[in-house]
Amino acid sequence: MLRFIVIRLLQAIPVLLAIYTITFFMIKAAPGGPFDAERKVPESVLEKQRAYYGYGDSLSTQYFRLLKRHITFDFPPLASVPGLTSGDIIKNHFGPSVQLGLLAMLAAVLIGVPTGTLASTKPNSLFDYAPMSVAMIGICLPTFVIGPLLALVFGLWLGWLPVSGWFEWKDRILPALTLGLFYAAYIARMTRGGMLEILGMDYVRTARAKGLKELLVVFKHALRGGIMPVVSFFGPALAGVVSGSFVVETIFQVPGMGRHFVQAALNRDHSLILTTVLFYAILIIVANILVDIIQVILNPKLRYQ
Amino acid sequence: MSFLSLSPDSAKISSEISEDPQSLWQDAWHRLKANRLAMFGLGFFLFISILSYLGPLFYAHSPEEISLSLGATNPLSKATLVEVRFDEEKQTPDEVITLQEFIDVYAEDPETDVANLSVNPTTELMGIYFSKIERFHFLGTDNKGRDLLARIMQGGSISLGVGFLATLVSLLIGVAYGAIAGYVGGKVDSFLMRIVDILYALPFLIFVILLMVAFEGFEHQILLIFVAIGAVEWLTMARIVRGQVVNLKNMEFVEAAKATGVKTIAIIARHLAPNILGPVIVYATLLIPAVMLLESTLSFLGLGVQAPNASWGTMIKEGAERMQAYPWLLIIPAGFFSLTLFAMNFLGDGLRDALDVKTAKD
Repeated sequence: MLRFIVIRLLQAIPVLLAIYTITFFMIKAAPGGPFDAERKVPESVLEKQRAYYGYGDSLSTQYFRLLKRHITFDFPPLASVPGLTSGDIIKNHFGPSVQLGLLAMLAAVLIGVPTGTLASTKPNSLFDYAPMSVAMIGICLPTFVIGPLLALVFGLWLGWLPVSGWFEWKDRILPALTLGLFYAAYIARMTRGGMLEILGMDYVRTARAKGLKELLVVFKHALRGGIMPVVSFFGPALAGVVSGSFVVETIFQVPGMGRHFVQAALNRDHSLILTTVLFYAILIIVANILVDIIQVILNPKLRYQ
Repeated sequence: MSFLSLSPDSAKISSEISEDPQSLWQDAWHRLKANRLAMFGLGFFLFISILSYLGPLFYAHSPEEISLSLGATNPLSKATLVEVRFDEEKQTPDEVITLQEFIDVYAEDPETDVANLSVNPTTELMGIYFSKIERFHFLGTDNKGRDLLARIMQGGSISLGVGFLATLVSLLIGVAYGAIAGYVGGKVDSFLMRIVDILYALPFLIFVILLMVAFEGFEHQILLIFVAIGAVEWLTMARIVRGQVVNLKNMEFVEAAKATGVKTIAIIARHLAPNILGPVIVYATLLIPAVMLLESTLSFLGLGVQAPNASWGTMIKEGAERMQAYPWLLIIPAGFFSLTLFAMNFLGDGLRDALDVKTAKD
């Protein structure tokens, strides 16, 4: 197990290097820079700014210097937000984003798994068709449609929940639901598919034959195998949640990292873009490794490979 | 399968089918026709395509016709407007104002002037010519007084267009990549597919945003969207095509064809291509809504289609900003967009069943 984790972590290094390189040259190819202000600034000031933030040197010098600073966690100062480093931005805005992402995944699992399980225990009945149709709607409605609609209905018409900000627990509900509903729908469909397959297996029949209660059969014996597809879906889902949070943070004014990334991209602030891209990449790689570990824990067959 | 079945219905169907020989595609079409949801999807998709591309030719209002004084009106509303001409002969009016503005600004004696306006085709006041028009807006107007249905048509043509062309781009990349990996096999295959695995784990949106920003000054901005989206959406296609090619390469009928001396080109054209086509069509159908979704997300973040062009994503964004006062500005474009996605997904699922493809994601 330890060897497996170490190998996966070592594999991640060239990947991260490739991501860093591609991102670096993509930003450098972009026209404009963070100093394109509307106000006219004297050339000498611009010169000094470029030198201070490290935009004046040759590409290769910039490439290696930034790389070194990222590896040593000595984050460069930001041209677009004077006085702060890209590390500060992550430190300050990482919390809300992660909270949003985790709450969304929690909502997705709490809604998706029971719905899918219920649908699979009574296939082709009302308990199957009704939730699965709703799931299809959930998949077809994009985040930026669900978000404003939820805000309109629950926030403005009914007045139950606040529609923007990030202060008390009530503020978390709408953003997390908006982000989580799509994945809830997907998870429900996958759980149903996986459970239907498992419930037809011999060992489930054996469990029933020895007189176990149906609840125990479904939740203890079948669910463990039935949610395997869901577990392997977590990797791609996390990548999706990260992208989705850009939109949700915009809709509900959440002070997370997504908006900073979009802003950094628009400002061509190379150090902030690089730091955020690397940060997201590490997050996703770590999550994928965790998913692999969970799979091994859930499925004994994989342990011997 | 069917000859084993004892149910009278399927026996009847199989006898019907066996009456005259049917190709794979006819067979698939039969199955698709039986699937109501898929047929609804196909019908709605045709409807929305015709509406978006041919509708503007017949519809009275232009999506760019701004009348700020009219502002947002409810769906199914009639607007009474006054055309103002400084020269009587002029075709297009110099200004279009509301009746209230006419009363406030131009009318000397409101009651008689308004009465005159309704009776005569043109009324002259102080050397300015006024004529009353009635406009009917089926879906109402947006906050700039633009007809919403006309904007829906225009937005639809852009959203669908991006959907098709970006899917085409990803189709070309994915099929070529997957076919090479599958056909060459060995180390090349595992290297190429390892790259796909790695790319899979990355948040696409970040790369699309970077691509969009990197080429921002580019003249043909919509073209860029096709390429940017196509460049990230080809992964699943590559996997599917590779899987098919690897399977088919070693099948008996391909070996038989080789053994009997059929030329390589003929093998590819007659034996490999038709078998890859099914999954490719199914996946492409499912990819179109995914691409439309990505384009709308970009537009929603302000990075996609730029004014004066508008996609449904842009319209939803604008609607969301004003949803408190004018909820229909959000609900109508969101409805069109979601229904189209629905229809495409149902059609894709139906095609998957009809063509009996098992390679898709779930």
